[in-house]
Amino acid sequence: MTSLRTPLGWVLRGMAVLGFVYLLGPLLVIVAASFSDTGYLAFPPQGFSLRWYQAALADQRYLNGFFVSLRLGLMVAALSLVIGTAAAVALTRFAFPGSTLLEALFLSPLVLPALVLAVALTLFFAANPIAPPGMTRLVISHLLVGVPMVLRVMLPVLRRVDPAIEEAARNLGASPIKAFFLVTLPVLRPGLIAAAALAFIFSFDEVEMALFLGSVRDAPLTVVLYGAAQMQMDPTVAAVSSMLILLALLLMVAQQMYANR
Amino acid sequence: MTNSAELVLDGLARRYGSTTAVARMDLTVAAGELVALLGPSGCGKTTTLRMVAGFIEPSEGRILLRGKDITTMPAHQRDTGMVFQSYALFPHLSVAENIAFGLKRRGVAKAEIAERVARMVSLLQLQGLEARLPKQLSGGQQQRVAVGRALVINPAVVLLDEPFSNLDALLREGTRIELRRLQTELGLTTLFVTHDQAEAMAISDRIAVMNKGRLEQLGTPREVYERPATRFVASFIGRANILVSRDGRSEDGIPLDAPDGTLVLRPERVTLDDAPAEGPNAVSGTVELLSFLGTGTQAVLRLPGGRQLLAEGPASLADRFRTGGPATARWTRGDLVALPPE
Repeated sequence: MTSLRTPLGWVLRGMAVLGFVYLLGPLLVIVAASFSDTGYLAFPPQGFSLRWYQAALADQRYLNGFFVSLRLGLMVAALSLVIGTAAAVALTRFAFPGSTLLEALFLSPLVLPALVLAVALTLFFAANPIAPPGMTRLVISHLLVGVPMVLRVMLPVLRRVDPAIEEAARNLGASPIKAFFLVTLPVLRPGLIAAAALAFIFSFDEVEMALFLGSVRDAPLTVVLYGAAQMQMDPTVAAVSSMLILLALLLMVAQQMYANR
Repeated sequence: MTNSAELVLDGLARRYGSTTAVARMDLTVAAGELVALLGPSGCGKTTTLRMVAGFIEPSEGRILLRGKDITTMPAHQRDTGMVFQSYALFPHLSVAENIAFGLKRRGVAKAEIAERVARMVSLLQLQGLEARLPKQLSGGQQQRVAVGRALVINPAVVLLDEPFSNLDALLREGTRIELRRLQTELGLTTLFVTHDQAEAMAISDRIAVMNKGRLEQLGTPREVYERPATRFVASFIGRANILVSRDGRSEDGIPLDAPDGTLVLRPERVTLDDAPAEGPNAVSGTVELLSFLGTGTQAVLRLPGGRQLLAEGPASLADRFRTGGPATARWTRGDLVALPPE
């Protein structure tokens, strides 16, 4: 370990600060701009006002978009969790021919740009209208990324868990169902919560697929914001964005606190 | 030790497709007895143990525990207490909660659980660690929690699956003596799986030597060492020189004063000197290796016919002979143990 008091330590510190500024700076600009007392987005903000927050909360489009996104995020998180965990259990507990290949395939959507997926899915649904446009299409599309995300979290979690603990529980008198609820589930719970939170945040924040595959009437919040940013660009957009940042922050902090408990 | 049969394996077999993991095994374990299932990996010892625990369904045969047929009984209804090779402690539960797990499943009253857990904790010297999580314990402490968790339910039979293999050598010996003391004191009927013959010899009442799914020999440690039933047992338990005698000569021409058949000659029965070999039960060769073992010295003698003959003697052997030099090995008729014809 390099001591932080050496010259190299100071350089490292400086680099860390630069990194944080680079990553978090844009967020600060948005948050600051949302309090501006001007009719347009301004940075540095001029004056201080909460009226854009009032305007955002009063705007039916944003409110509606929020609930669409919430519904979407919860469904994607729940379904991703079930499918992804089941797949992770199969990949870690049973060795079968092609399991490594399957694992790589399962994880591959994570490396594709969302836009590529969005275009591909648009073409796919145009040719195979298996689901109506809107929520169902979006859920199916988001699962393509949500499931690999859950898999990504649960594979290492499951690999660390000793498969013998369930047998130990049965040996000590717990029926298979009891063994699952008393031992397996509690051991996996922190991983499951982290995985669900990731899938939810992904779905909630996703823009490209939502733009291409969502319906205009029930547009998720990100699509509403995207539209507003192109049309009017007043600080309401910044206010809504700030509230989203706050929500994501709260979720991440809650999840971390739970994991470190 | 009483002679009542606590655990009976009656023609127990397990096949996977065309491969046989365990072939029609018969074994009776008396109350309070510790029987080791000993063999190399893949010999079927763990499969046998897991069939008794109820994790593997037998293809054939019966398992009787205290006179009751438990062959098809689900694992959680069987009265067995298993110590897993990985310990399999519940990572989210404290030491006390781990030990109490089996008692809670049995609906034991709260006050009694507390009392029995406390007794087990003091018996295993885990005082002060009750509130710790398994990951906050050393390997030896984890092993003791695993033992306590299995013993506290007072099972009809204790199943040990290589319980010492994750401990370092020094701790391993102390722990196995401790476990043997506990087992004798509490009168626990125990089935113990191991691949370590020294471990099996040290703490078992009887050893079941297994190879390729078959029970090769069942006997006390002395019986299997001094009167091995098969060539496999002779070479797996301790070290052995195996000679096939015919008309007063071994297959490679060593003159023998012994009946025809396969003979076992233990290295410690072989003495070395530098006089020429004359008559039967003596052969000269070249010293290929001298290893100091602490308690003595082991010599590997290369015979003219190509065979390596093992000899063990006092530490002073290393002074009397040198690598590459000549030596003559001798033994008596009584040192040769004949294997029963196969």
